[in-house]
Amino acid sequence: MIYSLLVLSSPFSGHSSRRAAQFAHCVTARGHTIHRVFFLDAGTLASAANSVSAQDEESPVTGWAELADQHGIELAICITSALKHGMLDQVEADRHERASPTIDAAFTVSGLGQLVDAYASSDRLITFGG
Amino acid sequence: MILHTLNASPSSAAFTDCVSIMAKGDALVLMGDGVYAALAGTEASKTLQETDASLYIMTADALAAGVTNLAAAVSRINMEGLVTLTETFPRQQAWY
Repeated sequence: MIYSLLVLSSPFSGHSSRRAAQFAHCVTARGHTIHRVFFLDAGTLASAANSVSAQDEESPVTGWAELADQHGIELAICITSALKHGMLDQVEADRHERASPTIDAAFTVSGLGQLVDAYASSDRLITFGG
Repeated sequence: MILHTLNASPSSAAFTDCVSIMAKGDALVLMGDGVYAALAGTEASKTLQETDASLYIMTADALAAGVTNLAAAVSRINMEGLVTLTETFPRQQAWY
């Protein structure tokens, strides 16, 4: 079965983003495929390359990046939400004259069309909010 | 058949809206602050049991919140249990 995930919550507030990552691990462990994880609103903060986690905490950015690397999952962040939260790739950093990109290389800046595509291309779209 | 996931307290509008839509054949998974709706003897748990939907709670979230006295109709599941439910139910409605 093909899954896509929609993550709406910040990884730095509450547990929804972490729960989504755990869900993704479990989905792949059960033999399913994850087509895309789409990050919207504060969920885009999962891509924050410059965030530093406490030594006894797993970095949410690293966790998602490893998941994507291990299973070939696309991590897409909504461009409008990303810009509002200061999450810029090299192209956007140049366009808006910022000193440097702020998102981890594992993430792709994308548009809402990719969320619609994820819904159309997957058997399941599971949303994590709150 | 809809799989509802509730990540909001019983005092929230999300809880009220969720309950108003839930129907027989649906399933509800309580997670995050939603776990408080499973406490035995509360108005919230009575309301949930009157919906005739199947009720589940994420065990880790319940333990983290100290919610151990569960209403009889609520079943504990882990993450694999949640994935299994998504395999069964073609649609999910997230309440938060």
